Amino acid sequence: MQPRLLQVFRNTPFGRETFLQSIYFARTIDVSIRVYVPKQKRFLMYFENDVLQVDLDESYIFSPDTAEENVRQLLDNSGVNFDFVAPEHYTASSLPDLPIDYEFMCCPRSMSDPGAKIGLGYIGPKVRHVIKTASFPILIPSICYKEWNKISVLFGGSINAVKSLRLGIRLASRTRYPLEVFTIQEKGTDKRSLEKLIEERELAEKFDKYVKNWTFLDKSDVRESLYLIPHDSLLILGAYGHGLVRELIFGSKMEIVQDFMPNNLMVVGPNFSQ
Amino acid sequence: MNLKKLLDRLGFYPAETKLKLIFLGSIVGLLAGFAGFALNTSILFLERHLTVLRPYWWSFIIPGAGAALSYFFLEKILNEGAGHGVPEVIYSVSRKGGLIRARSIFSRIISSGLTIGSGGSAGPEAPIIMSGAAIGSNFARFLKLNERERINMVGCGSAAAIASIFNAPIAGMVFTLEVVLGEWTAVNIVPIAVASVAGAELSRVLRGNQIAFSHESFAIGPGAIVAAVVLALFTSAAALGMTRALRKSHALWHKVELSPWARAFAGGCLVGGLGLAMPMVLGEGYHAVSDAVTGDFHPGFALVAVLVLAKILATATTLGSGGSGGIFAPCLVVGGFAGLAYYRGVGLVLPGIDLGAEGLFALLGMAGMIGGMLQAPLTAIFLIVEVTGDYNVILPLIMVSVLSSTICSIFEPNSYYLRDLEDSGHLLRVGTDARILADLRVAEMLDRDCMVVSDKMKLGEFVDVVKKSSRNFFPVEDEDTGKFLGMIHLDQVRPYLFSREMYDVVLICEIMDAKPAVVAPDDSLTEVLEKMEATRSIRLPVVDGDKYLGMVSKVAALDRYRKELIVQTEK
Repeated sequence: MQPRLLQVFRNTPFGRETFLQSIYFARTIDVSIRVYVPKQKRFLMYFENDVLQVDLDESYIFSPDTAEENVRQLLDNSGVNFDFVAPEHYTASSLPDLPIDYEFMCCPRSMSDPGAKIGLGYIGPKVRHVIKTASFPILIPSICYKEWNKISVLFGGSINAVKSLRLGIRLASRTRYPLEVFTIQEKGTDKRSLEKLIEERELAEKFDKYVKNWTFLDKSDVRESLYLIPHDSLLILGAYGHGLVRELIFGSKMEIVQDFMPNNLMVVGPNFSQ
Repeated sequence: MNLKKLLDRLGFYPAETKLKLIFLGSIVGLLAGFAGFALNTSILFLERHLTVLRPYWWSFIIPGAGAALSYFFLEKILNEGAGHGVPEVIYSVSRKGGLIRARSIFSRIISSGLTIGSGGSAGPEAPIIMSGAAIGSNFARFLKLNERERINMVGCGSAAAIASIFNAPIAGMVFTLEVVLGEWTAVNIVPIAVASVAGAELSRVLRGNQIAFSHESFAIGPGAIVAAVVLALFTSAAALGMTRALRKSHALWHKVELSPWARAFAGGCLVGGLGLAMPMVLGEGYHAVSDAVTGDFHPGFALVAVLVLAKILATATTLGSGGSGGIFAPCLVVGGFAGLAYYRGVGLVLPGIDLGAEGLFALLGMAGMIGGMLQAPLTAIFLIVEVTGDYNVILPLIMVSVLSSTICSIFEPNSYYLRDLEDSGHLLRVGTDARILADLRVAEMLDRDCMVVSDKMKLGEFVDVVKKSSRNFFPVEDEDTGKFLGMIHLDQVRPYLFSREMYDVVLICEIMDAKPAVVAPDDSLTEVLEKMEATRSIRLPVVDGDKYLGMVSKVAALDRYRKELIVQTEK
């Protein structure tokens, strides 16, 4: 069965950019797209151990009559298989439940807040919640359509970083695009322990085969280091893998990266299982 | 370290499942019990402060304002987007492994508090069931309990909420098992019973050991039991009338071209207007029923009969227009008035007859109404026994509640809570055929061990494939694109197999079945079996778009069914 990406369609020029990015991703990785054209402003996703309500902003239900036609126009000649999701179940009449059997989901930086807030540096609480809850990785597209021809993985040794490395290798093997790994040098992060971790997780062989370059970023400010990551790469990274306490004290790397990088991001949350 | 590990390390987390569930159930019971206390207190607070305004002519606006605020809070601030409670809890148990949103813990407490406290005709029971169930669900989610345990915690929350608000632990437990879970197993009953006790006990500590409808003990004679049988006809009629009025009202109010908050306001004002003439229809309405039970409700037969209709109208208007609350309390009030009207009606027709105390019939009316409307006779029986503290009434109670439930089920096969779920196919109790079939997907039982042949293959080449295969059916794919084109079955090619001259002439695409019945990987087992039945097949190809994925057979389906049944019914 072909892997699937879920796209909640927003029938606006901004939504089109996001959608074009998803189409590019789907074509490159060879996945099909399941498009949800919302009729209500909210929907639920029931995961294995959590239920997530996504409250959409007004723009998602803007001009519903033309939404499906616009989706078809964008997809018809794209070479990407697609279909539309029609919710089978409803928790209440105005509260559809969306299925969750996807391999990827595309979320712009915000789905719940007015357009004015959407931009680089802002990530909405709902998207955070989706990342934390979803059993699949989340594609956060760049603000405007931007093609990529490399894959970069931000690898710091956490559980989620290992998952993102595994995903990076998988995508590199599907696309044949060069894979680069970047490690932000921190106290307690040395190459030898990370190599040992890679070996323990039985990734060493594939790592050697697919990874073209492993760069250690050693600037004192993380943001300075990020300049070295190619702008035309799909940046894969783990999120929220260090637990609540550490996150409250030190903050989340993913938040800094999304705040600073214009790349398309693929974020692997704590519940992602391959 | 999460809480589960911490409790484990401290030795507070019993490893044995039943003990673990009892321990966790008691915590959920206390939390849900506190939620019940909070809702009850907030309604009493609002009622106390707003009652002084009731004499003013403009006071009809108060229920309107309360309903509009309630709508605004529920829909605009909390984005809740759901109904009054119990059906959502049953849906969650039935289809979603007991998962309920965290916001539901407090959303209905506040919104129904506003609606009922301001005078809207509704009950706090459904909202508090939702709240208790959400507490149980989110507590289980936090501790990462499995699905069965989570559903158990939902039951614990729901039972404790009812136990707390009515000070009725047995009714809480029975309601949960009878209506919410629909499953009576030992592993469920014990933690739910403990949670019920915890909820009721907390309520007693905080509010005192109050009996909702306390009264002098009734003397029950054979005449009362016979009269109870006839009363069941009246309570059934009232239950059916109320069920239909609620549904009609929802449909009618949705046609009114006003914004939802304005609809709620208008509905509340109408109820407020009705309340100017008959204040007994406002709010929960327990005061008037309490008077009826103790024999202190003095209006005559006609007014009591009108009150039955007025309460139904007020409840249908409040809930249909968008107010927040449940139907449990209105059921009790309508039932109480119906019983009283029946008693006084019989007294008018047969003046010399001795049926006993009229308060008894108010109680029996309540039981009949709950039995009929919720089709939950056991809940009705235990609730009335507990809220009156009088076991003597048990015999006529049983008669009226089971008869009312049976009569209503003839006209409405499902209770008010379950009808929509049943209609949409979402009422799937654990361990039932429908639930198991709905839970299984084609993708889980794919047989990929089947040789695929190309459309341009010659018959001779195909014969070689047949020799190597143990199957007698073969999917056909387009040689260039890999698209699924059809199926070829040995029976179809048997006439050609023995004609060697055909081997190099006939192509597979010429003799295959180009339009076979297919199923999709997302189809449920029910759909697959229906298709197999319709096409008289024992196996079907599974196709995703135009790609062949594998075969699904009746044998594999039966095997998965058996395994799923074991999972769902294991203790």
